[in-house]
Amino acid sequence: MSDFQRLQDEFQRCIVSGDDSVLDKILDSPKEKRDVLFGVYRFAYSSRLVEALSNDHPFLHTYLGDEMFDEMGKAYVVAKPSHHPNLRWFSQGIPEFLRANKPYSDHPEIYELADLEKALNDVFDATDGDVLAIEEVAAVPPDSWNDLRFHPHSTARRFDLTSNAAAIWIALKNEETPPDAEVSGEPSRILVWRQDNTPMFRELTAEEGMMWDEAAAGIPFGVLCSMLATYDDPDSAAGRGAGYLRGWIESGLLSGISIGS
Amino acid sequence: MTPSASIAEKSASEMNPGLATGERVRSGAKPPFLGFGLGLRPQHYNDILDGDPPIDWFEVISENYMIPGGKPLQMLERIRERYPVVMHGVSLSIASTAAPDYEYLTGLRDLARRVEPKWVSDHLCWTGVHGKNLHDLMPIPYTRESLDHVVDRVQLVQDFLGREIVLENVSTYVQFANPEMTEWEFLTELSRRSGCWLLFDVNNVYVSAFNHGYDPYTFLEGIPRDRVVQFHMAGHTHMETHIVDTHDHPVCDEVWDLYAAALKRFGAVSTIIERDDHIPPLDELLVEVQKLRDIAAEVLPESGEARQMERGS
Ligand SMILES: [Fe+2]
Repeated sequence: MSDFQRLQDEFQRCIVSGDDSVLDKILDSPKEKRDVLFGVYRFAYSSRLVEALSNDHPFLHTYLGDEMFDEMGKAYVVAKPSHHPNLRWFSQGIPEFLRANKPYSDHPEIYELADLEKALNDVFDATDGDVLAIEEVAAVPPDSWNDLRFHPHSTARRFDLTSNAAAIWIALKNEETPPDAEVSGEPSRILVWRQDNTPMFRELTAEEGMMWDEAAAGIPFGVLCSMLATYDDPDSAAGRGAGYLRGWIESGLLSGISIGS
Repeated sequence: MTPSASIAEKSASEMNPGLATGERVRSGAKPPFLGFGLGLRPQHYNDILDGDPPIDWFEVISENYMIPGGKPLQMLERIRERYPVVMHGVSLSIASTAAPDYEYLTGLRDLARRVEPKWVSDHLCWTGVHGKNLHDLMPIPYTRESLDHVVDRVQLVQDFLGREIVLENVSTYVQFANPEMTEWEFLTELSRRSGCWLLFDVNNVYVSAFNHGYDPYTFLEGIPRDRVVQFHMAGHTHMETHIVDTHDHPVCDEVWDLYAAALKRFGAVSTIIERDDHIPPLDELLVEVQKLRDIAAEVLPESGEARQMERGS
C-alpha cells in the first residue's frame, strides 16, 4: 500500500468515525489549529448528506421537525454511508431504514410518508416512455374490445399504504396542519406516475385499484369488466371500466395497447 | 508519452479510447473561448428558455443529468440547442487511490456523447475510497508519489472518454505535512505531463491562499499562461481564522481583483459565475455576469476576443 493510499484511508476513517489520528499528518495554519480546520471536512460530510436527505424528503423533514430529522439523518449517514458517486441515490434507503429503526418503526405514517416521497422522486427522473393517445383507443374495432390489453406508463408504480400518510402529505404540501396519524384496516391504494414532467399521485378506490392491478398484469378488457361486475352493479360494469380507462388515458397513465394474447 | 499525430487528426467521436493502440489521447487543441456564462441551475430553467438572457454559455453539473430520464434531460436538451454547454462533474474522484469506477466513467461518457459539451471538467481531489463516497472534494498531499498517481489516472480517464479533460483547483482547509511541491507546481506538472487543461477557480485560489497563509498572486503566477481554459467566480463564507468555500454568496472585491489579474496573465478565458447554494433570481446573477464582461473589456481592450465579449451587452 502506498503512502498516498494510507493517507486517504486514514483521512476518510477520521472523517467518518470521528477518530483524530490523521491530525499528525496535517499542519496548523498561520491563524488556526489543525483540528478546527480538519473539523470543516467532518462537519461538511454529515451536514451535506443530511441536507441531501432533506431535499429528497421535504415533508418527512417538516413532519419530524428539524431536531428529529437531523437526528434521524445523522443516524442514517452512519448506518448507510453513500456507495454511489451520484448523491441522487443516497436517500434511496430511507423508507427501509425507518421501518427497521425505533422510534420511526412504531409509526407507519412516518415510513409511509417516506415511501410516498421516494416514489415521487423516483418517477421524477425515471426512464421516459410513450404516452397512449385517446385516438389510438378510439380506433379499436368494437369486436376487439374484449381482447384489448393495456400497458402502464413506464413511470407508473402502485403500492398500498396502511396509514393516512397520503392525507398527511397533502396537508403538508398545502402548508396545513396534518391530520392525526391513523392506521386503518382498509389499505390506501396509491398510484404514482409522471405526467408532463410532473410527478403525480392518486388514491384509488378498491374497485379502480383492482382494475388497475389486473390490467397491469395483462388481463384483457373483457375479463376486467366481468371482474368489475362482482364489485358493483353488473349492468354498469362495462361503463365503469370504460370510465376508469378514459381517466387513465387522460392522465398519461398508459403507454400503449395491444389486441389479443 | 509521445503525442500521436494519427490520434490528433481524428475527432473524439472517431476514436475508440483505450482499446486500440494504447496510445494516449493528446490532441493538444486548446478548447475555444466561449465568453461569459453561468452555472446552469434548475431554478432558472424557465427564465432562460422563456427569455433571452445575455449569457454566452452554460456549465452543467454532469451528475444532475446522469439519470434515467425526465425533465432535467429535456431541459438540458433545449438549453444545448441554444447555447454552448460544458460538463462539470463532482464525482470523478480523479485523485482517489481506489480502483477506477468504470460504471461512473461509462455514464459520463454516455452523457458526453449526448450533450456534446465543449469540454468535460472535474476537480483535482478525491471523493472516497473503499467503495464509500464522501460527496466532498477532499485534499491531496502534493508529493511526487501522488503526482505520478494522478497523472496515470488522468491519462486513463482521457483515454476512456476520448478527450482531454479539464481539472479545477479546489478550496482546501488543511495542508499535509512534508509537501514536496506547492499546489501550483503540482497543477503545472500534472497539466504538462498528462495533457489535461486547467480550470482556474479564482475564488478557490483566494480561499486556499487565505487558509494556508500564502499569497494568491504567487499561486496565479505559478500557473502556466497557456494551460488555463476556464475560470470560476464564486463567493464564500469568512470565519475570521479561515474561509469556508460555500459558493453561496456574491463574489467579493478581493476575488474580483484577482480575476482582473488572472485576465492579465491568461488573456481571454471562458468564465462563469458559479453559485451552488442560496440560488438567487437569474437577474441577480446576470449582474455578476455583466461585471465579468466589464472587467474583461477594461483589462483586455486590445484583444480581438475582448470585442467578442461585448456581445450581449
Ligand atoms: Fe469551482
